[in-house]
Amino acid sequence: MAGGGGGLEKGEPDFQIAPMVDVLLVILIFFMIITSAQVLNIDKTIRLPIAPEAAKKDDSRAEAIINVRWDPATERASFNFQDRLYTRGSELVAPIRAAKESGERNSKPGQNPEFRVVIRGDRDVPALFVSQAMNAAAEAGIADIAFSAVNHD
Amino acid sequence: MRPFAADDDGTMGFQIAPMVDVVFVIMLFFMVMAGAVKVEHELSTRLPGTAEGSPSAEFTDETIIAISDEGEISLNEEPFDSAESAELPQLRATLMRLKENADSAHQPAVVTIVSDAHAKYSRTIEVLNALAAAKITNVTFNVGEE
Repeated sequence: MAGGGGGLEKGEPDFQIAPMVDVLLVILIFFMIITSAQVLNIDKTIRLPIAPEAAKKDDSRAEAIINVRWDPATERASFNFQDRLYTRGSELVAPIRAAKESGERNSKPGQNPEFRVVIRGDRDVPALFVSQAMNAAAEAGIADIAFSAVNHD
Repeated sequence: MRPFAADDDGTMGFQIAPMVDVVFVIMLFFMVMAGAVKVEHELSTRLPGTAEGSPSAEFTDETIIAISDEGEISLNEEPFDSAESAELPQLRATLMRLKENADSAHQPAVVTIVSDAHAKYSRTIEVLNALAAAKITNVTFNVGEE
């Protein structure tokens, strides 16, 4: 019998564990990439600012995430909230309020009941647009705001 | 049966060598990724709001950090660090002293960041990072009028 991909002398192919593990590894890497992108809901167009001293993200709380994008070519900012794109901060008030009501209604026992907004702003976006997102949160009745950042570049 | 040898009938047994190879590849992958992985962190703040009335009100000194459109930073109108400095060592040291003084006086250290509307958001985060290093949590963030 050949050592690699050969079969038995009677003609039946041998079961090779090594290529199977190789394929499993490829599948594992594929799912790791897909899953992390889904769970973190990362908007890849946004380059988050760097803050090594920032605290670890509290995932146990009910929250709404506002992505503030910046297009350097057109020098325009846009807001991505729950997979919908908005061009003005004031348009965010109604969907944030709806998300807050839904989050408070579905809060689990023992969980911090205060709903919060997490702003994921591009590092190059002018502060004005982040302020617009904060104003929208304030108008929706949310005072607790967190800014997202990464630990290193 | 020896691990690398064939059975008496000619069939190959369980191959441990490629298995170990693959395990090493997985281990190397995770070792390399552990250093390069980016973790999303957060800097918390609270919006200024209407406080409920109370019989006694304590007035605390409020520190204002201003950020210009060029990224220059001033604390109570005194400039700190260069516009290119991301670490902000002078501001950080001053904020640490401010926090120590506030703690010894049993007063909260209250800081308001006022950013120019056209200043980059990353500059605000760098200031918030310096505040987090000084363990100052009473932080509000405003953007000046255009």
